Amino acid sequence: MVKYSDELDAMFSALADPTRRSVIARLGAGPASVGELARPLSISLPSFMKHVRSLESCGLIRTEKSGRVRTCVLNHDRLGLLSSWLEEQRRIWEDSTDRLERFVTTGSAQPAHPKEES
Amino acid sequence: MTAHVSRTRHLDPELDLTIQRVIRAPKQALWNAWTTPDQLAQWWIPAPLKLRVDALELAPGGAFVTRMSEDGTEWHPHVDAVFLVIEEGSRLVFTNGVSSSWHPALPDPVAMTTEIILGDHPEGTDYQAVVRHGSPEQRARHEELGFFDGWGTVTDQLAAAVE
Repeated sequence: MVKYSDELDAMFSALADPTRRSVIARLGAGPASVGELARPLSISLPSFMKHVRSLESCGLIRTEKSGRVRTCVLNHDRLGLLSSWLEEQRRIWEDSTDRLERFVTTGSAQPAHPKEES
Repeated sequence: MTAHVSRTRHLDPELDLTIQRVIRAPKQALWNAWTTPDQLAQWWIPAPLKLRVDALELAPGGAFVTRMSEDGTEWHPHVDAVFLVIEEGSRLVFTNGVSSSWHPALPDPVAMTTEIILGDHPEGTDYQAVVRHGSPEQRARHEELGFFDGWGTVTDQLAAAVE
């Protein structure tokens, strides 16, 4: 997973902003133009474009220009990368909490039956 | 914005991870398991990996440094962090977004802040670990109303797309 580390960093910082997260949430319902996405937000179009570029550069969205309209599309694969990374983190933390629990209740972090730890 | 220790902090269910369970052991036993170097070394990483605790300074700003090894001779970086909050016997918070030497860090794979909370429970201890990911200073200051519904839709669609 280490090879994804820069990509994850970029995704986490892109998602740390509420405006960008609302864009991702909206795109979950399907593609939308930059104009449509910016309309409910009380920010200028140039500032909004910075958010779009940030989401595009970390790969969470793709944009396609057709005439004067730029359409944004959610990139499900990237979101999947984030989900699977978070799943992996959860497993790591659950496992270490299992060991902590065994350690404080039995005095040893090792499972009584080694096959318990798959 | 002055941070106050008792302030309820923003929790993002999509990026932050919470583990909560009742552990049948006294709070003090769990506190010791986290804060005593030779105890921490026994459970924190899975055998046969070995853990060495190089620094565990129980105070805000205190260093928290551990190393890991496969063979007990070659030691690799594991955690290089600082403690943010220490409430003796009940709560500890540390982050690897700042290194033990107080340099802003870009840890691998991402910066995270870990909060361990020990609460009273009739059967032992209410144990909670909250791991926050991403850039805390850029976090939303309040929850975006309706955001999580939208995000849920994204996740559902994602599940549908990969099934």
